Amino acid sequence: MARSSDRPTRERRERRFALVLFLPAFLVLAIGTTVPLFYLLWASLWRIDLSMPWLSGFAGLENYAKMAADPRFWNSLGLTVIYTGSTVVFQVVIGLGLALLVLRIPRGQAALRIAAIMPIVLAPVVVGMFWRTLVLPPDYGLLDLVTQALGLGSHNWLGDPQLALVSVITIHTWQWTPFSFLVILASLAALPPDVFEAARIDRANAWRRFIHITLPMIRPAIAIIVIMRMMVALSAFAAIFAATGGGPGTATEILNLYAYRTSFTDLNLGYGAALAVVLLAITLLVSFLMFRLRRAA
Amino acid sequence: MSAVGRVKLQGIVKRHGNVTALHGVDLEIAPGEFFALLGPSGSGKTTTLRILAGLENANEGRVHVDGADVTDVEPGERDVAMVFQSYALYPHMTVYDNIAFPLRMVGTAKSAIDSAVREAAAKVRIDHLLARRPGQLSGGQQQRCALARAIVRKPRLFLLDEPLSNLDAKLRLETRVELRKLQRSLDVTTVYVTHDQEEAMTIADRMAIFMEGRIVQVGTPDEVYARPASVDVAGFIGNPPMNLLPGRIAADRLHIGDHMVALGRDLGAEREVTVGLRPAALRAGPTGLPAKIDLIEHLGDTKLVICRAGESMVKMRVDKAASFRDGDDIRIGFDPGEIHLFERQSGRRL
Repeated sequence: MARSSDRPTRERRERRFALVLFLPAFLVLAIGTTVPLFYLLWASLWRIDLSMPWLSGFAGLENYAKMAADPRFWNSLGLTVIYTGSTVVFQVVIGLGLALLVLRIPRGQAALRIAAIMPIVLAPVVVGMFWRTLVLPPDYGLLDLVTQALGLGSHNWLGDPQLALVSVITIHTWQWTPFSFLVILASLAALPPDVFEAARIDRANAWRRFIHITLPMIRPAIAIIVIMRMMVALSAFAAIFAATGGGPGTATEILNLYAYRTSFTDLNLGYGAALAVVLLAITLLVSFLMFRLRRAA
Repeated sequence: MSAVGRVKLQGIVKRHGNVTALHGVDLEIAPGEFFALLGPSGSGKTTTLRILAGLENANEGRVHVDGADVTDVEPGERDVAMVFQSYALYPHMTVYDNIAFPLRMVGTAKSAIDSAVREAAAKVRIDHLLARRPGQLSGGQQQRCALARAIVRKPRLFLLDEPLSNLDAKLRLETRVELRKLQRSLDVTTVYVTHDQEEAMTIADRMAIFMEGRIVQVGTPDEVYARPASVDVAGFIGNPPMNLLPGRIAADRLHIGDHMVALGRDLGAEREVTVGLRPAALRAGPTGLPAKIDLIEHLGDTKLVICRAGESMVKMRVDKAASFRDGDDIRIGFDPGEIHLFERQSGRRL
């Protein structure tokens, strides 16, 4: 009897100790993430324009109303959709293609896997700089050397508004395709070989085995890649910022960059906060829909 | 008897790097036959089946089905169906879609697929599970689904790779009987790989026994049981298998230790032999091989008396009423006609 009455106090003591251990992490998370998030929501309801400080004051939903009539907002939203959609599709398609090729290589897979990690471990800002200074500049850049040698002429890859968007999409795809390649390769390597043998005996040719067996069986991996890469592409920043800064003009200004430029170049903190809140809402909505879709499948 | 499904393997050699898995396998299987490939693991029986299916290529030799050389033909074009040890069901498809898959791959009409799937599922009694996925089925149900997928296309050859090995003992015995009935009703040539000699003995019309990449004997279960071609086969067939004792032939008599037997037939020159005696052919009597009982196993309707005779262990199957005790000294008697003799050096039957 004595022992059982001991137990609640001991349990309580342990729980209190656990709480103390948990507290630092909780505080860091709260100060680093939760507080700024609420501050952002709050700031988006104010007029805070440091270049016109005399206009500051509570604005309610005015910042959000302004967006509807802001062509630059719609432009950036459109670019965000194009950027996210195309980079995610390219990453999955190219990653899948590479993984299928590499899976057939009997030797040297390990070396290829290490090579594939390289772009991933680079900081995105380094990637942006590297492309801007070594690959894409006209005349002496690597890409121009190739196009000139092929007789396709020199192009201003980051200066031409249309090419600039293609370039930043290429940069992102270059850096992150290896991630989807590695995930899909691991997923393919783990598929049971006898199922494919059964399909061969069941008269399915290579294409049909791919469509009816391979793709459905690696669908969970692809779903996870799409979800993760969408989240990242929606909030992409550093590589584009380093390569084009959102330009030329607003040619590569995705929503995240527009929010940054509004807040820290134009110093319109209130409107910038509202743009960031919209981006957050879109990201949350997309991830919610993707996870629901995944569960349904 | 079915007219199609005649199989002929000619000099099949299979090497994996430096290891030779099959050293020239020759085999003929008649249409409609239930043929077992029996052998211990690593003996080459599964490799032989896979070469017959077209999943692996032989380094040498030819594969003929119904007179046509199919050595270089893709598995899908050989008109064979296979049940894998792991069942290899398509995990993302329902049972219905699994069974329908081989028909869909050749563009069979939808209505024909539907009736074929339902007929195949009914034959193996899983027609109530068509909407489920493999992950929602028990082991036995998955096995039936794999069978249904194989029979739905009415192939000329039915290949089974240890199909019962993942089932529990009771289900294995039931399914064995059903499999045999199913094969009879379909009348399709069936090649069945197993390491379980009892399974092969009970289910097959004929069997080939594999040892270390070679076929050592081909015959009906009765033939193989009555006249094992070598010591290896003798030690593999029967439950428990034959007792194998060292012996010597001298002056027309067989010597087992100090015990002497007159066999009443010409034994040829003096030499060392291995003597094979089935446990059921032995009995304790006033005369015979002296032995000491080590252990008695009760098997229900019979007892297995395990005793030591000289250097060898001898198993004797006796009636459950027989009264023996551990440690008893007995004499093991047998009819000379029950003796199997093998040459010591080569292991061949004499």
